[in-house]
Amino acid sequence: MTGKKLLNAKILPALLLLFIFPAINIAQTVTVSAKLDSTLMVIGGQMDLTIEISQPENIQLAFPNISDTITKNIEVVRKSKPDTTLLENQRIAITQRYRITSFDSGLHYIPPLRFEYMDGELARRAETQSSALMVVNPFAEVDPSKGFFDIKLPFNLPFILSELWRFKYWILTILILGVLAYLGYYFYKKREIPVKELFFPPKPKEPPHILALKSLDKIKSEKLWQSGQIKSYYSQLTDTLRRYMEDRYNFPAMEQTSGEIMSALKYQEFPDKNLFHKIETVLSTADLAKFAKYEPLPDENDNCLISAYFFVNQTKEEPVPTREALEKELKEASSEEKQEERN
Amino acid sequence: MNQTVDIKELNERIKQESSFVDLLTIEMNKVIVGQKHLVESLLTGLLSDGHILLEGVPGLAKTLAINTLASIVDAKFSRIQFTPDLLPADLLGTMIYSQKNEEFVVKKGPLFTNFVLADEINRAPAKVQSALLEAMQERQVTIGDKTYKLPEPFLVLATQNPIEQEGTYPLPEAQVDRFMLKVVISYPQKNEEQEIIRHNLAQSFPKASTILKPDDIIRARKVVKDVYMDEKIEKYIVDIVFSTRFPENYKLEKYKDMISYGASPRASISLAMASKAYAFIKRRGYVIPEDVRAVCHDVMRHRIGLSYEAEANNITSEEIISEILNTVEVP
Repeated sequence: MTGKKLLNAKILPALLLLFIFPAINIAQTVTVSAKLDSTLMVIGGQMDLTIEISQPENIQLAFPNISDTITKNIEVVRKSKPDTTLLENQRIAITQRYRITSFDSGLHYIPPLRFEYMDGELARRAETQSSALMVVNPFAEVDPSKGFFDIKLPFNLPFILSELWRFKYWILTILILGVLAYLGYYFYKKREIPVKELFFPPKPKEPPHILALKSLDKIKSEKLWQSGQIKSYYSQLTDTLRRYMEDRYNFPAMEQTSGEIMSALKYQEFPDKNLFHKIETVLSTADLAKFAKYEPLPDENDNCLISAYFFVNQTKEEPVPTREALEKELKEASSEEKQEERN
Repeated sequence: MNQTVDIKELNERIKQESSFVDLLTIEMNKVIVGQKHLVESLLTGLLSDGHILLEGVPGLAKTLAINTLASIVDAKFSRIQFTPDLLPADLLGTMIYSQKNEEFVVKKGPLFTNFVLADEINRAPAKVQSALLEAMQERQVTIGDKTYKLPEPFLVLATQNPIEQEGTYPLPEAQVDRFMLKVVISYPQKNEEQEIIRHNLAQSFPKASTILKPDDIIRARKVVKDVYMDEKIEKYIVDIVFSTRFPENYKLEKYKDMISYGASPRASISLAMASKAYAFIKRRGYVIPEDVRAVCHDVMRHRIGLSYEAEANNITSEEIISEILNTVEVP
């Protein structure tokens, strides 16, 4: 075999293996590191211990069990969730931070953190490097021989308005809400409308005389006395009148007897002087029919209904014209005058 | 007018039978000055067969009123002053030994009369009050092993003094309920007081004439029962009584915690009876809501139990009744 052939047959594959194997080995390597933010910390201070792992993504790594202490002098305040990043060559990087603190001064040793994993059928272990943390006490040693001193009072720093700047959105929201609440209250008080009615405006109530006339029309159409229901006829008739009086004159007529109603009406001014006597007759006839089995003559029944109609029509309250209606009326009147002048 | 026969007949009958009412009132007014309400209440109680509890300070003619009524009706009258040492036998009577007949004989007490004035009933202990109230209810008295009926008409007028409450035995609610009416008497008006002075300083004090017999009262009571009361009036009475029990159902929520107990069914019966008697006095054969309202205060004022809240807020049964009458719908 010549030298050239020997190179081709033996050395070249060997060289190839020499280059390829480390690459395979690198792909399977797990590297872990633990890094402190600083090697110096004041007593009670806090800093992060960052653990970084680089591993193939198909490996399950068992993390060391760190609960609330790393060593007896170093405590874990909190730990972050592992942050995984995808790397090249089917590898991942995992980063986890432990916020640590210490309340003992001195140089503290942080032992290597061990991570175990299975490489094929082989159990392997990766370790971080050990490190040290110097915890210093910044306060001067208390010398009891110098006597005891009280704890220093907190500093009173001057208030700076710009400090509120960070709360600007909260302050703005509260101010807007306050103004809105005040405006709501102001308009509510001014308009004297119940809150419920602001959202659900009630239907405008019909005037009492309209209601009474409607009810009287109904009584008339039902022909109660004609069908022998005299008591019911007079009950409905007096109820209609009493309800009308209650709304029209603002006295509790529904809870009053005929005598009391007449006493209340005595002080009202009626356009017709006979009106009082007419209504008195209606009420007394109704009392007899309702409470004494009295059966009035057909004429009396009719007269009572006519008197009721008469009373409602004579005493009905005329609606007060609105400002718009008055203005419209005035405009119409003035335009008519102008028209006449032109003619 | 085409009035139905029953009511027409009844109205006429009542007009005839009640003719004595005017005479009786005139005779009463001869002696009693003012106190119109007292006289009316006495008549209502007499005609509706109910007893009366009078409340008023001394000297308001309570005794004189019942004495005069007894003389007008030609009935027997007795006045019993209730004291702490009074015994039931002092009222009802007892068995005493007769040496002449060598046996126990019955000695009837002052209760055996037509009109009884039980003066200051709350001064006697509970056992005496109980004996009187039982006689009032049963209209009979048992002495020894024999039961004796009390004479008819039998009307008890008990008085209570609203002042000087020390050393008194207030009537229990159950017993007060047996009085049909509780009448509160107030002072007379100025002109009435002047008239009272004149009456008393005159040579002879006016005297009422006897115009009625006890039988007339018994007959009138039967007529009173016949006074027509419509279903609507019955419902009105029931509404009034129920509003004392369930005020919240009658837009009287504010009195829910003020009333510890409402009026009993006896109140409904009394209100109906007293309304009929009042209609009779007004010479009507039927009851109208005015009659119910006229007697309502007297019938109900002692039948509504007030709570501590009511007492703390100075709310009286009078106020509650007035509010009920102003709230319950009139038929």
